[in-house]
Amino acid sequence: RLDANLISVVPERSFEGLLSLRHLWLDDNALTEIPVRALNRLPALQAMTLALNRIWHIPDYAFQNLSSLVVLHLHNNRIQHLGANGFDGLHNLETLDLNYNELLEFPGAIRTLGRLQELGFHNNNIKAIPENAFVGNPLLQTIHFYDNPIQFVGQSAFQYLPKLHTLSLNGATDIREFPDLKGTTSLEVLTLTRAGIRLLPRAVCQQLPNLRVLELSHNKIEDLPSFHRCQRLQELGLQHNRIQEIGADTFVQLLALRSIDLSWNDLHFIHPDAFVTLRSLTKLDLSDNRLAALPLGGLGGLTHLKLQGNPELSEPFAKDSFPNMRVLEVPYAYQCCTYGSCGGFFRASNQWEAEGASPEDEDPHRRALELFPGHADNHYDLEADDLQMDLEDSKLHPTIQCTPSPGPFKPCDHLFE
Amino acid sequence: ERAAVQKAIIRVIPLKVEPIVLEGEFASVAEVTPAEGKLLQSHPLSLCNTSEDEHTESGFITIVKLEQPDRDPNPCLSLANKAKLAGERGARAILFDITDDESAADQLRKPRGLSQPVVLIRGHDAELLMGVVNKNREAHVKIEVKEPPAWPDYD
Amino acid sequence: VHPNVSQGCQGGCATCSDYNGCLSCKPRLFFVLERIGMKQRGVCLSSCPSGYYGTRYPDINKCAKCKADCDTCFTRNFCTKCKSGFYLHSGKCLEKCPDGLEANNHTMECASIVH
Repeated sequence: RLDANLISVVPERSFEGLLSLRHLWLDDNALTEIPVRALNRLPALQAMTLALNRIWHIPDYAFQNLSSLVVLHLHNNRIQHLGANGFDGLHNLETLDLNYNELLEFPGAIRTLGRLQELGFHNNNIKAIPENAFVGNPLLQTIHFYDNPIQFVGQSAFQYLPKLHTLSLNGATDIREFPDLKGTTSLEVLTLTRAGIRLLPRAVCQQLPNLRVLELSHNKIEDLPSFHRCQRLQELGLQHNRIQEIGADTFVQLLALRSIDLSWNDLHFIHPDAFVTLRSLTKLDLSDNRLAALPLGGLGGLTHLKLQGNPELSEPFAKDSFPNMRVLEVPYAYQCCTYGSCGGFFRASNQWEAEGASPEDEDPHRRALELFPGHADNHYDLEADDLQMDLEDSKLHPTIQCTPSPGPFKPCDHLFE
Repeated sequence: ERAAVQKAIIRVIPLKVEPIVLEGEFASVAEVTPAEGKLLQSHPLSLCNTSEDEHTESGFITIVKLEQPDRDPNPCLSLANKAKLAGERGARAILFDITDDESAADQLRKPRGLSQPVVLIRGHDAELLMGVVNKNREAHVKIEVKEPPAWPDYD
Repeated sequence: VHPNVSQGCQGGCATCSDYNGCLSCKPRLFFVLERIGMKQRGVCLSSCPSGYYGTRYPDINKCAKCKADCDTCFTRNFCTKCKSGFYLHSGKCLEKCPDGLEANNHTMECASIVH
């Protein structure tokens, strides 16, 4: 271990004879260059960190003899330039960390890293991810590249990555089309926000059969395909787009779908059968659209429903439409009155409230006595397992948070009758 | 129209010691809903993506004592994301002692629809709660929604 | 001094408080989260405890846990010494060595077959 020193140069023969050296820590030093010659004599090296130094470039063939290297950390340096053959020779590399550097271009030198599984180049200055960017890295499982000013992403950039689980792209405004993800079949989380996507390919789910989370907010999508082949889809984020209608087959047979966010769109029509097959749906956000009616079929399991910002949606709901409701946001206060007295929606056993006292001037010791009058001797003896109350059967019945809550100036009478 | 602050009743039931009842306020970053579970303290730095908490059991209620802002100049996550992370790690509710960081109340005001309730506690109530933590005695916590004062019917 | 800030920070803390222990460490030291019962405190160490690995960052050096089957590691995904019952191969802990390699029960590693 040589970490946390002031080493600025590693002489060529520093590691001579260390033929069995496997792990090298040179992080947190003052290196400005990769010690290429010194590293040429370490055939058994498997893991190395050069993080937290002042390295500004990676020359061609910098690591050419490190054929056993599996892990290479270069994060928190000043790397701007990377030779096209900078990583040649690293046949066994699985983890490459280039985070927190000053790379201006996509590190194309990674194309020779056939066994790469983990790649990070977040917090750099990269503006584009080229076509076929990862064609040489079929084993990639994670790619972290957030906090780069990425504007352009090649249509084929993320193709043929059968082990990739997560892909997130935010703010790449030059992206006009949905990426072609042919061969990237294990993707579970796809986040593609704040781009310029207008159209979703009809076959989007055929390419992504394992998708669990699809987040496409802040794009320009107008029409939706049927997502019925995305059988594992659980969360769908489509807020801040231009969607106008939801058809009968848009969400058909999505049995695992729990949450849909369609807020801030142009929705004026939802087909009566749109939600009927969604037996797992608990959260639905339709706020800030142009809806005049809401089809209730399939919405019986909702715990969260948001509808504010639909001025024409003025009908109150029947109480039994949403038996599991916990958070309800509606356009008008009188629509909250369906859920019991307008005086208060939150039930809590409150001794001192009844007696007109307020908790502030209450002595906690006396509060405790009141709560447990049965223990006259004030010795409260509870075994650990008595304490473990199962929340599901708890006597605490869930409260319903309904807004806007009615008040003196938002009475329960439907003023427009 | 700024939503009225929703008060919380926090019942702390330590093992073999008499319980205490405290008051806090629900932060609107999360749902206003009751919760209960075993009390567990978390260091503010444990709620970062690069840190993990060895505690694997779920169903607990986390208490985090926030330090003065100048003592953590660039926090790893916003307080809202720390609360979200705590929920993802199994917390049924998150209690923030904001005695030394009143700015936390503003940071946790913007609704984010977090499922686990977030309750702010300060001053004497916070001192009593941290007293229980300091004694490191197992305790069960019940958080209830305190009924807002009824408003008279206006014709 | 703020009532909650303990008078003297122990064990290499740069800043600390009564309830949370260390909040930041002196240079070069590693920050570790220690859980004792219900409480969790920060402590500062010159190197990470067994079963943990250290990562240095500009603002903090942190210890994090190795995988369950690993005793000591370089990163979470690269083990340097496996727990008993596992063989080490290229940073992984395996119950059985891959084809073409043989298990060395002395070093508990997978090695090339010597003909």
